[in-house]
Amino acid sequence: MSDNAPSTPVKAAQTEQEKTDFGFSQVEKTQKASLVANVFDSVAAKYDIMNDFMSMGVHRLWKRYTIDCAGARAGHKVLDIAGGTGDLTAKFSRLVGPTGSVTLADINLSMLKVGRDKLRDRGLISNIDYVQADAEALPFPDNHFDIVTMAFGLRNVTEKQNALNSIFRVLKPGGRLLVLEFSKPTSEQLSKLYDMYSFHVLPKMGQLVANDADSYQYLAESIRMHPDQETLKGMFEQAGFEQCDYQNLTGGIVALHRGYKF
Amino acid sequence: MPASALLTATLEQAINRVLPLDPDSAARLQALSGARLTAFVAPLPFGLSLSFSEQVDVHAVHEAPAEVVAALTEKDCCIQTSLSVLPELQQTSQLTRLIQQQKLTVDGELQIAQQVSALFQQLDIDWEDQLAQVTNDVIAHQAFTTGRQVHERVSSLLGTFSRTLGNAVVEEKQLAAHRLAVMHFNDSVSTLRDDVARAESRLEKLEQRLTKR
Ligand SMILES: C[S@@+](CC[C@H](N)C(=O)[O-])C[C@H]1O[C@@H](n2cnc3c(N)ncnc32)[C@H](O)[C@@H]1O
Repeated sequence: MSDNAPSTPVKAAQTEQEKTDFGFSQVEKTQKASLVANVFDSVAAKYDIMNDFMSMGVHRLWKRYTIDCAGARAGHKVLDIAGGTGDLTAKFSRLVGPTGSVTLADINLSMLKVGRDKLRDRGLISNIDYVQADAEALPFPDNHFDIVTMAFGLRNVTEKQNALNSIFRVLKPGGRLLVLEFSKPTSEQLSKLYDMYSFHVLPKMGQLVANDADSYQYLAESIRMHPDQETLKGMFEQAGFEQCDYQNLTGGIVALHRGYKF
Repeated sequence: MPASALLTATLEQAINRVLPLDPDSAARLQALSGARLTAFVAPLPFGLSLSFSEQVDVHAVHEAPAEVVAALTEKDCCIQTSLSVLPELQQTSQLTRLIQQQKLTVDGELQIAQQVSALFQQLDIDWEDQLAQVTNDVIAHQAFTTGRQVHERVSSLLGTFSRTLGNAVVEEKQLAAHRLAVMHFNDSVSTLRDDVARAESRLEKLEQRLTKR
């Protein structure tokens, strides 16, 4: 785990040749990871701009709230899995200070590189490791991290339960997991409005700004396919997490799930 | 959407914009590097923490004060009080009583609170210079000669305030003085922002006058 070279990718063991969702399409399970990789290779360079543009800046508040709920302190070891361009990592790096450490892990090298360059430009280097890794098979020791965060990442993982199990393993007893992810709007009206936005406005914006309608179509579809609040909470519990709860943000467009390992 | 995130984002931006305007604040910030100050002011439903590095990170604390206190490190300070007590904090003679009545609690490293207060109290920003950078020197100068009275009044107010605080540190129990200082640092920030706003509006008027000529 060095600051300079992301370590080798770790592939999740996959045995059964079953189907899984890729947006609204059904694909072989073994294919999903590379399809997701294409999406993020394609959006990496414009990822930050598009985030601000599409969410009107609100994603920053969602992430900030996630950090507030993480309770990071000086000396903590934090894993930001599916950390992408490192928004959460940047904050954590300052909060845990020189006695702590933050590991920015992502399956996608393009995203990881954009993140690394961005954080370096901001002078944040000393306590950050960059690791290319699959959330389903984390290459870290058992009981290693105080906090694990996953923001807008779980949706893209092929076997979400594997990812939760893997995170549970690397968390220290007493540690907590925070998953920030698109979810199910709580009101019918908001839900309709949001569908219109994500299926009609969003891909067009993607086309206009990033010249990439397909990736943003995938984004909209993958959001719809993601388990709702209660289902995800159940998956947390199945992985072994305790005191699991979630909070709806912006009317449930996004939910922050939290669970502890004791 | 949690309002706390919006509040802390705004505070954080304001603080990190104002601090670099005083070249001396970098050194004070450096001295605080790695430190954290958490304040719980009831009935605010969450605490506020200031974490210091090369910048100031402001975050809402959703844990209970007891949890924060239990996890204090030697680079932490945690203060607890309530909104209704804030006005009383202005009278330094009341502070000892407030502590005894447990209306005010400080845990952890007191020096951090003191340094934080110094960081904001001792802000010395050359607004004229700041303005001159965005407009031309003549306009900035004129804006300031006309605006100076207001500006001086504000400065002298701030000065009195700092002296009161200074006295408090000397006269009162150390504990109490730190807390008073911390309670007021937000005030100082908003005073400074008012200052800028005032200077801006003076400048606008002057520009209008100049273009009319
Ligand atoms: C929408 S981005 C989120 C990035 C960042 N956390 C944020 O909130 O801005 C999703 C990220 O998940 C990563 N990802 C997808 N599948 C993954 C997996 N199985 N393991 C780790 N990361 C994965 C993608 O490469 C991408 O960088």
